[in-house]
Amino acid sequence: MAKGKILIVDDDPDIALATRLCLESAGYEVFEAHNSETGLEIIQNNRPDLIILDVMMDSTTEGFQMALTLRSPDPNSDYRAYSNIPIIMQTSIHSTTPVRFAPDQDYLPVDKFLDKPVEPEELLKVVAALLKKT
Amino acid sequence: MDQRTMLDGPAENWLPRDAAYDTYRLIRTRWVGGGMVLFITAICVHILGLPLPEAGLYTLGIVILLYNGILLGVAGRASRADQTRSVLHFRKIMILQVVLDWLSMAVFIHLTGGITSPAIFLFIIHVVLVTIILRGQSPYTYVLFAVVMILLVTLLESVGILPHYQVIPGMNCDLCHNNLYAIAQVVFFSVALFATVFLTNSVMRRLWERERQVMGLLQTTRSISSTLELSIVLENLARGAAEALAVPGASIRILDVTGERLTMVASYGLSRVYLEKGPVELSGSYLDREALSGKTVLVDQAEHDPRVQYPKEMAEEGIQSILVAPVIGRKPLGVLRAYSNLPNHFTMKDADFLQAIAHQSAAAIENAQTYAALQQAEQRRTQFVRQVTHELRSPVTGAQSLLRVLLHNMAGELTPQQQDIVGRLENRMGTLLELITDLLALAASKSFDQRQELETITLQPLIQATVDSFKHQAAEKDVQLDLTMSETPLRIHATEDGLKRVAENLIGNAIKYTLEGGSVTVNVTKETSCAVLTVTDTGIGIPDEALERLGEEFYRAPNVRHSGIPGTGLGIAIVKQFVASFGGLMSIQSTVGTGTTITITLPLN
Repeated sequence: MAKGKILIVDDDPDIALATRLCLESAGYEVFEAHNSETGLEIIQNNRPDLIILDVMMDSTTEGFQMALTLRSPDPNSDYRAYSNIPIIMQTSIHSTTPVRFAPDQDYLPVDKFLDKPVEPEELLKVVAALLKKT
Repeated sequence: MDQRTMLDGPAENWLPRDAAYDTYRLIRTRWVGGGMVLFITAICVHILGLPLPEAGLYTLGIVILLYNGILLGVAGRASRADQTRSVLHFRKIMILQVVLDWLSMAVFIHLTGGITSPAIFLFIIHVVLVTIILRGQSPYTYVLFAVVMILLVTLLESVGILPHYQVIPGMNCDLCHNNLYAIAQVVFFSVALFATVFLTNSVMRRLWERERQVMGLLQTTRSISSTLELSIVLENLARGAAEALAVPGASIRILDVTGERLTMVASYGLSRVYLEKGPVELSGSYLDREALSGKTVLVDQAEHDPRVQYPKEMAEEGIQSILVAPVIGRKPLGVLRAYSNLPNHFTMKDADFLQAIAHQSAAAIENAQTYAALQQAEQRRTQFVRQVTHELRSPVTGAQSLLRVLLHNMAGELTPQQQDIVGRLENRMGTLLELITDLLALAASKSFDQRQELETITLQPLIQATVDSFKHQAAEKDVQLDLTMSETPLRIHATEDGLKRVAENLIGNAIKYTLEGGSVTVNVTKETSCAVLTVTDTGIGIPDEALERLGEEFYRAPNVRHSGIPGTGLGIAIVKQFVASFGGLMSIQSTVGTGTTITITLPLN
C-alpha cells in the first residue's frame, strides 16, 4: 500500500524524473504531468494527496495560474473539491524575475517553496510534513 | 498702453534688480545735475558776471538735490519689498522721477531765458534717458508733456505773466516777444525731441529684440544640456524659438523611420485642432521638401501660397506667415517651423536665427537618439544575459537533481567508486550552478532600469532573515554568528533581491573564509542620514595587493585561490554593483590572518 499519491507537474523531464525517483524510493505513488492542462486532468481522475508544481512551463507563470485555479475561492469552481490539496512549488524563478514570491494566502495559495535543484532529503521531509497535516 | 505687443520690449520681464538698477542710475545722474545747476550758476554769476536770477537757480539746485535724497530713500524701501510689489513701486518711482525732472527742467529753462535759453538742448539728454529707461511705455507721451511745458513757459513769458530773464547781455530783448521766433523755436524743438524719441526707440527695439533672441538661444542651449529626455528638449526648443522670434507658435516635426512622413514631436502655441489636422506626407508638402534640401523657407501669405499643404487649417489657426528651417544633423532629421499671425512677418534675420535653433535641435535629437540607442542596447544585453543564464540553469538543475537522486541510492545501490564519481559530478554541477547564479545576479545588478525598480525597504527584517538562513551553515562549521541592530527601522531605497544578494554574499563569504572556532559579527547602525551595515569576521583576511582588485569580476585573492575554498570571484563585484545602484558606498578593511570588515553605507530614504 502506497504512503500517498503525489502529482508532479513540471515540463523539465529530468527534474520530473529526479523528483519521481526520490518520492518512489520513499514509497509514494507518483503521477507525472508536463503541463498544467494534463495536471488538472490527473487531479480530477486520481485525486492526489499532494501536488508538486513547477512555475515556468509554457508561460512564465503557468504554475502559479494552476495553483490559483485549484485554490479559487469561487464556489462554482470545477476544482472546489481539490482546493485543500497541499501544494509545493519547486522553482528557480527567484533569481530571474524581479517579482517576489512568498506563500501569501491571498496572492499565492501554495504551502511551501522549494528551490531547484531537487534536494532529496529536504523534499522528503517537506512532503512528509505536509501530508501529516492533512 | 494696453495695446502692448511683445515688441514693446521686455518690460514684462522687468526684474526688481533691473528696475532698481535704472532708478539708481537716474538718481546718480541727478546728483550731478543738481550739483551742476549750483556750480554753473555760481560761475556764471560770480565769474562771468551774467545777470542770472541767482536766488531762483540756487533754490532750484537745492530742490533737485533734496528730492533726489527723498527718491533715494523711497527706492531703498521699494527694493526691500517682495518681487511683484517691488517692480510696481519702482515703476511708480520712475514716473515720479520723470515728472519731477520735467518740472525742474521747465523751471531751469524759464530761469535761464525761456525759449532763448541755451540750456534748452539739455532736454534732449533727458529724452534719450527716458526712452531707454521707460522701456516701451510710450516715451512719446512724456515728450508731449515736455513740449507742452516749454510751450506754456514761452506763452506765459510772452504775455508777461512770467518774467522773462535776459541771460545773454547782448541779445535782442525783443526776440522773446517775437511770436514767429517763439513758434519756430518751439516747433523745431518739438520736432527734434520727437525725432530723438523715434530714433532712440527704434534702436532700443532692435536691441531688445536681439536681447530676447540671445535669451532664447541661451534658454535653448540650457534646455539641451539640462535633460536627455528628448520630448522635453524639443518642447523647450519650440517654445524658445517662438519666444525669441516673438511669434505665437512654433513646431518641430521629425521624419519617421520611413523617411516619407513628418511627425509632430513638439509644438508651442498651436491649438489641438491644428495639431491633429493629419500627418504631413513629405511628397505632399512642398515647403518641407524645400526646407529639407537645406534651405530656410519663408512664406509671407500662408493662405494664398500654393506651397502650403493645409491652407484652410492655417487660416482657421490664424497663421499668416510661416518660417521653415531644416533640422539637419548627419542626415536630414526634420523641420522647425515658426508661425506668425501677421502677413510678411519674417525677415532674413529671423531666418538666420531660426536656423541657429534648428542646428541646436539637430544636435539635441542626435544626442537623445544616441542615448536611447545605448540604453536600448544595454537593456537588450541585460535581457540576453538573463535569458542565457536562465537557459543555462535549467539543464544544470536537471542534471544535478538526477545526480543527487543517484547519490542517495534512490535509483539503485551504487558501488563506493560510483558513489565517489557521482559525488564529484554533483559537486562540479554545484560549482557551475553557483557561477551561473552569480552571473545572473551580476547581470541583474547592472541592468539599466534598476533605478526605476527601486523600492523602499526596511533593512532590519531582511538582515535578520538572511542571518537566520546562515545559522545552520555557521553552526556546522563551528563559527559563531552574531547580529546586533539599531532599534529604529532604517528604510532605504533598494531592490529586495539586490539587497538580499548583498547580505547573502557578505555573510556567506565571511562564514566561508572564517576557520573553525572563529566568529562573524553583523551590525546594522544608523549614522546621520545613512544606514550602515558592517560584516566583521575573524577569517583568513585579504592581502593588501588584492584589496583594490576585489571588485573586479572573476578576481580571487591569491590566498583564497590557493586554499581550495570554492568560489566564483563574482561575489564582491555583485555587492559593489548593487550597492552603487542603491546610491551607497562599500569599504573593506582587512588584515591577513586577523580578519576582514566590510562596511556598506546606504542613504536613508
